[in-house]
Amino acid sequence: MSEPVMQLKNVQKTIGKKSIIKGLNFDIYGGEVFGFLGPNGAGKTTTIRMMVGLMKMTDGDVIIQGQSVKNNFKGAIRHVGGIVENPEMYPFMSGWKNLVHYARMMPGVTEERMKEVVKLVGLEKRMKEKVGKYSLGMRQRLGIAQALLHKPSVLILDEPTNGLDPSGIREIRAYIRRLAEEEGVAVIVSSHILSEMEMMCDRIGIIKNGELISIQTVHDALQQTDEKEVSIEATPVDQTMVALQEMTGKEVNRKEELLTFTVEKEKIPSVVADLVQKGIRIYSVNVNRSTLEDKFLDLIGEGAIE
Amino acid sequence: MSNFFQLIKNEQMKLYNQKATWIMAILLVVLIVGIGTLLKIDDAITGGEGPTGDNWKQELQQQNEQLMSAGEQPPEIEYPGYTNVEMNQYRIENDLKPTPYNAWDFVRDNRDLVALVSLFTIIVAAGITANEFRWGTIKLLLIRPISRAKILLAKYVSVVIYALVMLFILYLLSFLVGSLLFGMGSFSPTYVYTQAGEIKDAALFSFTVSQYLLSFVELIMMATFAFMIASVFRNTSLAIGLAIFLMMAGSSIVLFFMEKEWAKYILFANTDLTQYMSGTPFVSGTSLGFSIAVLAVYYVVFMVLSWGFFTKRDVAGA
Repeated sequence: MSEPVMQLKNVQKTIGKKSIIKGLNFDIYGGEVFGFLGPNGAGKTTTIRMMVGLMKMTDGDVIIQGQSVKNNFKGAIRHVGGIVENPEMYPFMSGWKNLVHYARMMPGVTEERMKEVVKLVGLEKRMKEKVGKYSLGMRQRLGIAQALLHKPSVLILDEPTNGLDPSGIREIRAYIRRLAEEEGVAVIVSSHILSEMEMMCDRIGIIKNGELISIQTVHDALQQTDEKEVSIEATPVDQTMVALQEMTGKEVNRKEELLTFTVEKEKIPSVVADLVQKGIRIYSVNVNRSTLEDKFLDLIGEGAIE
Repeated sequence: MSNFFQLIKNEQMKLYNQKATWIMAILLVVLIVGIGTLLKIDDAITGGEGPTGDNWKQELQQQNEQLMSAGEQPPEIEYPGYTNVEMNQYRIENDLKPTPYNAWDFVRDNRDLVALVSLFTIIVAAGITANEFRWGTIKLLLIRPISRAKILLAKYVSVVIYALVMLFILYLLSFLVGSLLFGMGSFSPTYVYTQAGEIKDAALFSFTVSQYLLSFVELIMMATFAFMIASVFRNTSLAIGLAIFLMMAGSSIVLFFMEKEWAKYILFANTDLTQYMSGTPFVSGTSLGFSIAVLAVYYVVFMVLSWGFFTKRDVAGA
């Protein structure tokens, strides 16, 4: 991989005597979508606020394009675009004036660039309206627009799909992927919607109680094991259960008419064929994907907030 | 430097896109026109007619004699606007003929409305930073390649610009409305006033301009105070409330501690610089120079606190 665009080096935050963030170390590369995942209170937002200089680090540093956020804030932050928490804009001004406001704070943002960004997020027709009249989804788009004005190399989005309708979510997702893949932008996304993260991210960092407990490549997280969890709906249930236990040699769970067991993917067709041969009537066979959610819950455990 | 200009433009844009800003300006205009109309309808409020005829000296002399002979009983006098014997005498001696109430007098009287401009400026000063926190927009504002100190300075300068504009509107509109309703009089009539018991006169134009500018000092002190509270506590209502309370209660606070030796160091004993120009100083032991020094110290403290807190403190929580 190329040089990291953003590096977190032993980032720590202590408020009072409580250690909120206990030394985060990770790198983010251009062209990847990095998911930042963790239960509420784990320190996601605090970390993001430290990345963009809204909060000071107690120790450690964040390096963006070789510039230290601590020592050269202006040099580092010029490469960053972001939304921290909700996309809060000035409600009494039009969408366009809001963009003008942020454009004036960045060097070299032209009116063409502003129009380009507006078009990109699909808000051309609503720019003259006051932001107070926007839906949350529109504000989210405007938030992304302002973050992109100066062509940042790191884009930080806190809960970017929050408040969007399904088609909006899909658009934003596709758009984030395109930014990463075509423009080489490093995108950092935080979310608690796990299925969202799976579809969007290349890597996911899991944070718990201020510590990074794991970085997963989305690909691995999903296909680490060949064993699949399979559910079968069939009658007679008792006979099926016995047959399955014999075939797999493992425990079979029964939940009313539904039987669940684990088996290697390769063996699924033969299991089904055997059942059919035994005269069992099969109504449905489903492979339960081992999702990130299970993985996530496995990793953080229950009652994670200390 | 050019981006500082852009920041000022931003602050102005945000200010003038809010309805409240316009409501305040309209209130000021309505009040000026309203007060002018009221004075026009009932000229007793402006002190009635003055002795403006050719034999004004005799008339004033006569009135003085009436005033002195009457003792404690208020006499039926012809010119209720001219009841100060010494000032009347001064006019006669220096050949300063009274002029009828005109635009300049209206401008002079409307200096009281500077209190209203102060109130509006406090509202603006308190809101300009604290509202960014309330709206949540502070997070997007501070993640730009611009130092926090510069962003705050742009806000402060915008408050000062706002105050100057409002004060200018007050002065100019008072003059225009006054000219329309009462006539302009001469270019700049002479005004007679007392300063620490001594009677003086000045051209009304320069008198009003210096009065307005001296009031501006008080205005800026209170606005800076509100700005500081807003920057430290990030709460608009607290800043507005505290600043307005202190503005109203300022003189009572000074009166309460009048006997103490340190009373003269209280901010409010010094904010009204017009006390050195007309009238008598509030607390003994102060002078124009002393007050300016005390104000400067307070000003620096307000500024240091504003900048210290704004640039150093974390932006945490929603």
